[in-house]
Formats: sequence, structure tokens, C-alpha cells
Amino acid sequence: MKTGLTSSVVMHAAVIGFGLVSLSAPKPMQVADVEALPIDLVSIEEITQIQEGVKDAPKAERAAPTPTTRPDIVPDAEKAGDQDRDLENEVQPDVQEKQIAKTQEAPPEAPPTPQPAPERPDPVEPEPEPKPAAEPTPEVAPEPKPREEVTPEPAEQQVAALPDVAPVPEARPERKPQTEETTASTPKPQTAETPNRKQEPAKEPAKKTASTNPEKSIEDEVAALLNKEKASGGGAKRSTDQAALGGERTTGGSTLSASEMDALRQQIQKCWNPPFGVADAQGLRVTVKMRLTPTGEIEGRPEVVSGGGNDGVGRAAADSARRAVIVCSPYKLPADKYDAWQDVVVNFDPSQLFR
Amino acid sequence: MEQIALAAPEGQYSLWALFMQAGLIVKLVMIGLVLASVWTWAIVIDKMIAMGRIRKAMDRFEEVFWSGQSLEELYRALAEKKTSGMGAVFMAAMREWKKSFERGAKSPHSLQTRIDRAMDLAIAREMEGVESRLGFLASVGSGAPFIGLFGTVIGIMTSFQAIAGSKSTNLAVVAPGIAEALLATAIGLLAAIPATIAYNKLSGDASKLSARLEGFADEFSAILSRQLDERSAKQAA
Repeated sequence: MKTGLTSSVVMHAAVIGFGLVSLSAPKPMQVADVEALPIDLVSIEEITQIQEGVKDAPKAERAAPTPTTRPDIVPDAEKAGDQDRDLENEVQPDVQEKQIAKTQEAPPEAPPTPQPAPERPDPVEPEPEPKPAAEPTPEVAPEPKPREEVTPEPAEQQVAALPDVAPVPEARPERKPQTEETTASTPKPQTAETPNRKQEPAKEPAKKTASTNPEKSIEDEVAALLNKEKASGGGAKRSTDQAALGGERTTGGSTLSASEMDALRQQIQKCWNPPFGVADAQGLRVTVKMRLTPTGEIEGRPEVVSGGGNDGVGRAAADSARRAVIVCSPYKLPADKYDAWQDVVVNFDPSQLFR
Repeated sequence: MEQIALAAPEGQYSLWALFMQAGLIVKLVMIGLVLASVWTWAIVIDKMIAMGRIRKAMDRFEEVFWSGQSLEELYRALAEKKTSGMGAVFMAAMREWKKSFERGAKSPHSLQTRIDRAMDLAIAREMEGVESRLGFLASVGSGAPFIGLFGTVIGIMTSFQAIAGSKSTNLAVVAPGIAEALLATAIGLLAAIPATIAYNKLSGDASKLSARLEGFADEFSAILSRQLDERSAKQAA
């Protein structure tokens, strides 16, 4: 027994000693750090209720684009057509190439053009032209537009001057520089501008083309050339407000989103005990108008705008609606859209209660 | 129990560190299991040696016994020695035979039964020595895993109590306690597996030895009964 015991003890000592030496702590597992994905919750209002501002304008309460200067369309127009105002002559087909030929053949008709030009909003330049107009001729040739052609008759005083202008060659040299210099811009503004440049010492039009072109990269120009689609859809980029860089407050838009509207509806519905057991539920529609403070409290007394009635049931419905509105206040609504929910109109319709 | 070092610093997960971190009960369980393992191996080694010796002795005795030597001579040669195994069985039978004849036994049948009984006793005595302590192996084989499991359960229990106290479910807090507790089960299995295997082998060997002894006893009894018959035939004649 002794041999067995001693050998066993020796063996165990050896095994444990070996274990202590060689079986040290296992290497800590290397776990690759997984970077957390940052997730933003973006509400759709930031996109749907986006507001345009102007970069170099000061901050105002609301963002607003540059005010439009478009003149109002003549309110009492009598004729159909594309013009901004009623004209005497008849509507003519839109043919660009032939016009140039016409102007050449019949110079007397062309000269009066200066008149329509001042009426068009964008180029202010045409106005100065007639004044220096010892020779209004240069303008005649470049204008391929139907509009300007249509107008000749109203201006009859200048017909006398026309014969001098008549020589066509003068018009052509002017056109060439245009095509060379400004290829990107559309033909219409160019033709209007080029004559100005030649005649007026002040080079405003030249500056314009110069300022627009260098800013645009070639890609933009190519895109502009390729893009023959007319801008469509969306609201007009038009405002009557002063141009502003952006709002002073960050707003999620100026109107309540559908989800916020739903939230408000739910807040009110919780407190509403519609009059039950009434035969004609359709007649119980009540519209309540209320004014809220920025904290969501009701300001003043909610007013029943429509619905209800003088009979008992109608009055009960109106009362229940008004009570609901009062009991549920204060309302939890986005504070930055206070403008949108300052005045709230709530429609209470018992027939749509159980949806 | 709360003094268990939670979230042990790195490099503290070695066997010794795990043992030292364990609570008192778990430590006791581990120490007991290690001692059981030591004793198991001691028994195994001892039995292996003893059984090998017994087997060799049997081989030698059988060689001598079947060499045609007279039984008287063999008896006289073995009388001085301390005998074991087959020799002891042979001596028990011969002693009974001698005693019976010295006192002039009458009935050969009663002598035959006496001799058989003496031999059975001798076999039982021999096998007792061979099979002693095998029961301990069986106990370790079946009990050690449970003891280790007990240590593990206690260890995990205490470590969970400590975790509840630390108010953190970080794995770094949970892991050391569990690892330390599992060490107890590991040691239990370490003791139990060799014990079970050795028990199966040794008990098989022991039953083989006992079968061999019984076979020899039967043969020797047959020889003796033949002699008795011859004697009774002589006496009758």
C-alpha cells in the first residue's frame, strides 16, 4: 500500500505542479469593437415643410426667398394670348426663323420694338435705349421674338426713323458676338441684352452675363443646356415678405404635421363624452374654436362656431364639445410651431367617434 | 461570502488564483476531491501491483503442482513458507486432510465436505484481500461528480449573491465566480473518471482470479476425493 500511496501522491503533485505552471490564465478573448451606428430620428417635416431663405439676407422671424417683382397681370384683359397686357393686333403663330426674314424684308415694321421692352419686367435696360436713339436700328435685327414683332403698330412716330436703319448688314455683325460669348444662356435674353451692350456705355448686361457664368461650373452649364424640361410641380418661389437668411428660431415647419394633428385629436378625444342615445347623430356636429397660450392652456372661452343648436340635444352636444376642450387642456403641442396652433378649430363629429 | 473578489484583474484566472478566490466550502470540496483522487490512484497502483504478483504466484504454483511432484512433498515444502493464493488454498486443504487422518477419521464423505469447506474459506480469505478497497474506487467513481457539482452549485450561488450585491450584470463580474465554481466540478470529474475505469478493470481482474482459485479448488478436491476412494477401496479389500 505504501508504494501505491507514495507514487500516487508524487503523481498528483507532478500533475498539479505542471498545471499551475503551464495552465496559466487563458488569453483574454479579443473582441473586435463594433462601432455603434449613429441613428437620427428625422421627422418628415424637415423635408416637407422646408423653407427657402436667401444667403446674404439678414435673419428674420421666418425664412423667406427673395420677393418676386413680377407685375400683376392686367386684371380686366379682354383678349386671349400670351401677353402680359391686351394688345391691339391679333395673335400670331410662334415662328422664330421667319421673323428675322420678315424684319429684313420689311424694316418699317420692326423699329417700334422699344415699347414692349420696357413693359417686360426682367430687363430694365431696354428703357434707356430709346432715348439715345439717334439710331434705333440695331435693335431691330436682333429681336427674333414674336412679341416684339407683334407690337409694331402702336408706335408709329418712329417709322420715320426706320428707313435709315434699313441696311441689314448692321444687324448681323451684332449677332455673331452673342453666340460666341454666351452660349449657355437662352437665346431670348441674349438678343435683348446684346444691343444694349453695344449702345450703352454702362455695361450692366455684360456684367450680368459675366457674373452668372463664372459662378456656374461647366457641369451646371451642360446640365442647363441638356435640361429642356420646364420646372413643374411644387409651389411658386414667390413671397411678399422681406428676403431673409432663415428663421431666428428653429422650427419644424410652420404647420402641424399629420402626426401632431393626430396627437392633438387624441388628446381631445380622451376627454370627450359625446351625447349618446340620440337618434340623429348627424345633426350633432359641433365646431369649436379655441385660442391657446404657448403653454397649451386655453385662453379665454372656447367658442362654438357652428353646430349645436337651440334645442336640448344640440345644446348638450355643444356643451359636451366645449367641456371636452376645456377639460383636456393644457395640450401638449410642439412649442416651436405655436404660430400654427395658436388658434385651433376642432370638429366634433359623433358619427366618426368609433372608427 | 461577499469578500469574493469580483472582476479579478487580468491574469488572475490561473488555476491557483481560481482556487484561492473560492469560498471556504468550495475550497473544502476541492481539497477533499483532490485527496480522494490521490487515494484512488494509490489504491489503483497498489492493486495493480498486488494482482500482478498474485497472478505470477498462481502461475508458479500451478507449474509446481502439475509437475508430478507428490503432494506430501509439496506440503512439506510450503509448510515453512507464508503462502498466498493457490498455495494458501492448497495448504488449507492439506492441513484438513492431515488432521483428519492423524485422528483417524471414519467417514470419507464428511472428510470430503470438510476439505471443500476449508478450501472455500481459504478462497474467501484470499479474495477478501484482493477485493479490499475496490469499494472505495466505486464510491469515488459515482460520488465524486456529485461532490464536485455540489461545490459548483455553492460557488455559483455565492457568486450570484455577490453579483446581486454589486448591482451589475456585466459578464466580467459574472464570469470569475462561475469559472471558479466550475473548477470544483472539473476536479470531481478528474477524480471520478479514473476511479470508475480502474474499478471496472480491477473488479474484472479480481473475479477472474477468484474463478481461477475456485477452479483450482475444484480440481484439487477431485484429486483428494479420488484418493479417498482409493483408500476406502483398499480398506475394504
